[in-house]
Formats: sequence, C-alpha cells, structure tokens
Amino acid sequence: MKLENITKKFGGLVAVDKVSLEIEAGELIGIVGPNGSGKTTLYNVISGVYTPEEGRVILEGKDITRLPPYRRAPMGIGRTFQIPRPFSSASVRENVAVGIMFGTLSGKVGVDESLEMADHYIELVGLQAYRDKASGRLTPTEKKLMEIARALAMKPKLLLMDEAMAGMHPRDIDDVVRFLKETAQEENIAIVSMVEHIMRAVAGFAQRVMVMYQGAKLVDAPTAEALGDLRVIDVYLGRPSGG
Amino acid sequence: MIGQLLAGNLTHGLVLGAVYGVATMGLSLIFGVLRVVNVGHGPFIMVGAFVTLAMVTALGVAPPAAIPAALLIGIALGFVFFYTIMRRLIRAPELASLLATFAMGILLEEIIRHSFGAEFRGYTWDVGKIVLPWTVMPMSKVFAFAGSVLVAIGLYLWFNRTRMGTAIRTVVEDSEGARVCGVNVGWSYAVSFAIGIGITVMSGVFLTMFIPVGINPYMGGAYTLKAFVIAVLGGLTSPYGAFFAGLIFGLIENGSYVLFALIPGVEPFALTRFLTFVILLIILLIRPTGLLGAKK
Amino acid sequence: MRLKIEKYYPLLPVYAAYLVMFLIGRTMPGMWQMVALLAFYCAIGQAFNIFLGMTGYVDFGYVAFLAMGTYGMALGITAFHQTGLGIGIMFIGLLLGVVMAALLSLAVGAVALRLRGAYFAIATIGVNEGFRYFVEGARIWGGSEGIIFYGDMTEAFGAETTRLLSTVWADVAVFIIAAMAAFVTIHYMRGKIGYALTALREDEDAAKVMGINVTKYKIIAFITSASFAGMIGAMAWALKLTYVFPPDVFEIHYTIECIIIVLLGGAGTLLGPIVGALIYGLSKYWLAVIAPGFQLLIFAPIIIVIVVAFPEGIMGLVKRRAKGTGWERYII
Repeated sequence: MKLENITKKFGGLVAVDKVSLEIEAGELIGIVGPNGSGKTTLYNVISGVYTPEEGRVILEGKDITRLPPYRRAPMGIGRTFQIPRPFSSASVRENVAVGIMFGTLSGKVGVDESLEMADHYIELVGLQAYRDKASGRLTPTEKKLMEIARALAMKPKLLLMDEAMAGMHPRDIDDVVRFLKETAQEENIAIVSMVEHIMRAVAGFAQRVMVMYQGAKLVDAPTAEALGDLRVIDVYLGRPSGG
Repeated sequence: MIGQLLAGNLTHGLVLGAVYGVATMGLSLIFGVLRVVNVGHGPFIMVGAFVTLAMVTALGVAPPAAIPAALLIGIALGFVFFYTIMRRLIRAPELASLLATFAMGILLEEIIRHSFGAEFRGYTWDVGKIVLPWTVMPMSKVFAFAGSVLVAIGLYLWFNRTRMGTAIRTVVEDSEGARVCGVNVGWSYAVSFAIGIGITVMSGVFLTMFIPVGINPYMGGAYTLKAFVIAVLGGLTSPYGAFFAGLIFGLIENGSYVLFALIPGVEPFALTRFLTFVILLIILLIRPTGLLGAKK
Repeated sequence: MRLKIEKYYPLLPVYAAYLVMFLIGRTMPGMWQMVALLAFYCAIGQAFNIFLGMTGYVDFGYVAFLAMGTYGMALGITAFHQTGLGIGIMFIGLLLGVVMAALLSLAVGAVALRLRGAYFAIATIGVNEGFRYFVEGARIWGGSEGIIFYGDMTEAFGAETTRLLSTVWADVAVFIIAAMAAFVTIHYMRGKIGYALTALREDEDAAKVMGINVTKYKIIAFITSASFAGMIGAMAWALKLTYVFPPDVFEIHYTIECIIIVLLGGAGTLLGPIVGALIYGLSKYWLAVIAPGFQLLIFAPIIIVIVVAFPEGIMGLVKRRAKGTGWERYII
C-alpha cells in the first residue's frame, strides 16, 4: 500500500500533514507518536472513514482514496479499534464470522462455512471457551482479543491495529505479538500497529517504525534506529533537542 | 391583483413563520444538547394550546396571560419527563429515545383527550386589526409575532449572557471537557430539556393567538412534521437557525397555498401539506445538516 | 441455496401458534372475528419486525405501505373488473399492491436510509401524511373521497365469491401472509443478511469498516417489510372493507399499534411479534368492552416502560432464560 502526501484538515486544523508511507506485503510496521499526532486520523483515511483533502491512498496499484469503507474491506483492509467495538448481542463466533463473510472472502463463503472458519481464529487468540458467549459480556481484554480475531478473520492484506494491546498484561502482549507475527507470515499480511507508548509491543514486533508528530512524519526507519533517534526522544519527553 | 394577494399572504406567512420558528426552537435545543429527537414534539405544542384555551374560557383572561403559565407548565413537564425517562436513556441506542419521546407524545394526547374531549374547540380574542396597504392583519397575530420574536431574543440572551446558558454551550461542545471544568453536565441536560419543552409548550399559546380555532387533542401531529422540516432546514442543532428557518417556512407555506390555488383541479390545502414533506426529503437529500449555517 | 432443515426449527412454535389460532377460530362459535384480528396483528407485527427488529430503525410512516396495498387492490379491481378474468383480478390487485408498496419504500429508502437513525425517523414521520395529502391534493385515486369498489368486485367475481372473499378468504389470506413473513424473517436471520443487519444495528460504523454495505442491507429489509405490509393492506383491508378512504388508511394509529406489538413481544425475535400481537390484541378486545378508547392511554406508558427497562421485550427475556437449555433451538 502507498500513501502519497496525505493531508487531512478539519476546518483550520491540519490533522495530517503531507504524510507519505509505503508498506510492502507482509511487512510489520509500527506507527508511534504522542497523543494528537494524527495517527488515528491517518488510520481513518486508510480505512475510508475520512477522505483526505490532498493525497492518494493506493492499494496494490489501485487508487482507493475515494472508496467508502465497506468497499475497502473486501479489497483487503482490515482494522481493529482502540476501544473494541464488538457486535454486543452476537456471540464471539458470530462476530468473527462477520469478518469472514464480509472481508476478502466476501461473496465466496456461506454462513455455515464462515462459522466453521471462525473457530480457527478464535482458537488462535485463545477465546475458545467463550465461543458462544454474547460478546458484550466479555472482559475488556477478551474483547480486544476478539477484535483481533475478527480482523484477522477478514483475511486482510493490510491489517491496521489501533492501540490493540493497550491495557494488556505484558505476558499477553508477548503472546499476541507472537501469533500476529506467525499469522502475518503464514497469510502474508502486512500489519501496521499503532501505539502511543507501549514500546514492548513495537520493539518486539515491528521491522520498521514511523514516528508522527503534530500531523507530520518525523522519522521512518528500521525500528532500533527510529526509537533511538534523538528527535523521537525529544518528542516524547518534550526536551529541546541538543539539550 | 394576484400580486396583492400574494403580498398579503406572504406577510401573514412571515408572521406565522415566527410562531413556527419559536415552536421549533425547543426541538433544536433538545437535539443540539442531548442529541435526542423529540418525536412527540407536536403534542407538547398542543398542551400549550389547551392551557390557553382553559385559561381563556375558564378564567376569562386574555391569551397573553397564558404565556407564563404555559412556560412554567412546560418546564415542569420537561423536568418530570427528563428525570423519569430521558435520563435513563442517555446510553441507550437512538431507537430508545425515539420511541420514548413518541410514546410521551401519545400519552399527552390521550390524557388531554380524556380530560377535555376530542372535539374541536376555539376561542375568540378580538383586539382590533392593523391595516397595511396590501392587507389587513388582526392585532392578535401581531401580538403572536411580537411574542415569538421576544422569545427568540430572550433565548439568545439566556444562552450567551447567563452562567447556565454558557454552561450548556460548553456541554454541547465537549461534555467530557465541561465535566472536568466543573460543569454539572447532568443538570445541564435536565435544564436544556426542560427549557426546550417549556418553549415548545409556550409556543402553543402563540399558535392559538394566530389560529384560535381547531384546538383538539390530535392537532399536534401536523406540527411535528412542520417542526422537523424547519429544524432540518435551520440546522438541526441550532435554535436560531430554527427561528429563521421558521420564517422562511411560513413564507413558503403561505406562498405555495396561493400558487396552488391557481392550479385548477387540485386541492391547495392538501398540496401545501404535501409540499412540506417534499421539502423535507429534498433537504435531507442534499444537506441533512441544514441549509442555514451548521453548528450553534 | 441448500436449505438446512435445522435452521428452520424455530418456525415450529410459530406455525403451531397459527394453527391453534386458526382451529379455534373455525371450530368455536363466534371466535373467528377475534382470531382474525389477532392474526392481522401477528402478520403486521411480523412484517414490521423485519425492519424495526432487524435494523433498529423505526419507520413512523409505516402505515403508508398498508395504504399502498389497499389502493393497489382497489385500483386493480376497478381497472380490470370488466375484463372477465375472474379471480385472477384479485391476484392482479395483490401484485399491484405489493409493487406500489415496494416502490414507495424504495423511493423513501433511497433518500432516507443513507442517513442515520434519527434523521431517518424524521424523514418517515411525514411519509404517511405526505402521501395522503398528495393523493388528496392532486385528486388522484379518488382524491379525498377514496374509492368504493364493492360494485366492481361483484361484477368481477360474482356476488357469492365477493361475499366469501370479503368475509372468510381475506382473513385466511392474512394467516398465509403471517406464515410467509415468519419464514422470510427466519431466512434473513439465519442468512448473511441477518448477520449484516445485526452488525449494523449494533454498531453501524464498525459494520461499515468490516465490509458491510449498510445502506444496501437497510434497503433490503425496508422493502421486504413494506412489501408484506402491501400484501396485508391488499388482502386484509381492501377485500374486507371494499372501499378505501384516505383518512382511514393513512391513520398513524396503525403504526403505533405495530410499534407496541413488536416492542412488547421483543423486537428482532421471531416469536416476539406473535406474543406482542396476542397480548395487545386480546387487551384491546377486552378493553373495548370494559373501557373503550383507553387502550392507547394504557399502552403509551407501557411502551415507555419497555423502552427504559425491558428493551428486549418479552421474548428477549425468554430467550435469555432459554439459553443453554434444549428449548434454545426453537425459541428465537
């Protein structure tokens, strides 16, 4: 996927400022940046919730900048939300099945097949015990795990994860990171993980990191390099550089 | 000849429009602050009409005396409905508040019907006429117009010059932020709802000053639709937009009546009401957020 | 499309209930009228539930689709009564009624369903009124006087058949329509459409991001619901009354009854509309004897209580209790 010079404004506020980014198939990327740096807006542009004032979003060579969100899912863009959004009255299994039915396999699978395939992803995140439980009654962490399962069930080519591991126990984070990397490799998914400050999730996971600050791209480099960059440290600690 | 007829009609339309505008301000206020569409809007206007009727026929006072009474009754109703029903629906899905307000309206209609009967009633209030070059207007309508304008101004002042009004404006902007700044958000919701209902009931008085006949428990329904059209026209969240949209709507409604009357073989009254609905659909089609300015 | 029989088990209690009602009506003297009324409420409840229950959107102008159905039958009969097609004319009228209802729903839906729930509700408030005043204002279809087609019916079908249609067969048709509506409901619920509708009902924005074309599915539910209303209007209203009169057929009262029935019974459930219809219908019948004109005064606060305290309705509560038991397969 390519983002070319994406600019998104809300009235006078420039939320995303000429951001460009290239993601190869199967790459594992992290986007970091303090609150208000424009990460969520960028995500919304990629998934189609917002249309940028300038710039283009290109997926596998096709310009999808103006496509509505529901058309991007079958093309391969999957997404989790920072605050999980389960379809509360439906069971975990049914939720994940929705991902299968309307993701990249849209139109090719029936309801029963989707329910069966959903089980695989539920086991992946370890929620088998709650398979038939109404998703509205899960704990926050369980909801996050289901959110991930549901997104993976879409069999996306690009998975956007939004603070997916915030609030999780470090051990759980390691588990999630592990199966994400495995799945990404097996199914050739590019995963973009967006975090504010959980470095554990980024460091062990991302091959490359893009740091955003005040809507613009600050740094775009392999992980160790990016996180060690002085400008990045300044941005997080607020110290003038060189000091 | 047609020109004079049209001019006269438009003047009446403008005056009526002011009343429509005030009748809608409450709707926009409630939606703007609580994000609740009061589907039972019309019946509240009807309550104001009945308050006027009761006071004029039972106490023998002039309709303006009913204005404060209607306002107080409306505010009281608003607080009651808020604390018993609306407060519990803040986190519920949209459907819940739509159905609850709809049921509230029905409840009001039924209570009034069982108390006063379903017949059409009216009263007379003759305070003379004012003669303009192109039309004659009863003073009662002029009073309705003046009253409506005063209410609109009053609401503006209240919103912008009082502490409560300012608090409510902050809640509309950002309820979390307002809470952090010490604004009592729950109370702001209650007051907004109560004032919204209060203004709506009060507008019933102005409405009867303009049309003192045809008062019956089910008269509200027609005004619900008109109010929605006006509110959407004016930007659903803005009470001031609603007022100006009301003026425009009054003009269109009366003007279209004259024009429809020119077409042979149709019933102008019915077509005017159909036009109301068409306007609504058109606005929703092009710009649901309203044609007259957006936010507050 | 292969039909897996187990999926349709929940229809068993529904059809059993209809059968019992039908038998009571036919065998016990004097009960047919009440049973017919209850069947009407069941049918209209099932139809309304397809939209309200499955999408979570409320259409306040719903009665307009009943009206379209009634007009369709009226127009069909008055237009074709001299063609000698016999009972075929009734089917033409039925088709006309369904098509007209579907077209109106398509027109309204295309405009209003792209919007969110609150705006949609606002748009629908005026549909029944707006269309009624269009008919009256433009003086089409008999204008404000409506159409009386009893005479045309007699000419088309013969006096004896007309009498039968108007009394027995109209009511039997309602049972059939109710059964069809229940079938379509479960078919939707268990199919891809059901999943899409549940998703968009719970969280429309998340549903969009998951790849669901929410507008398309809303429109499908809307047209389906409207079409059934058209059928009911054509059979239950037109044939029975043999006239159509705008202030009657566009009366918002019926929409209110639909809301009560679906909400009371449990919106979005299969058995809900039946439970709601029975309770409401029987209460109304009973109240008409002891306290006529009071039913709305009683049911309006009931709606409020349901919305605030029991939004899932009776069947919603029953479903929750039934979870994990053997009944689960039949109660949805």
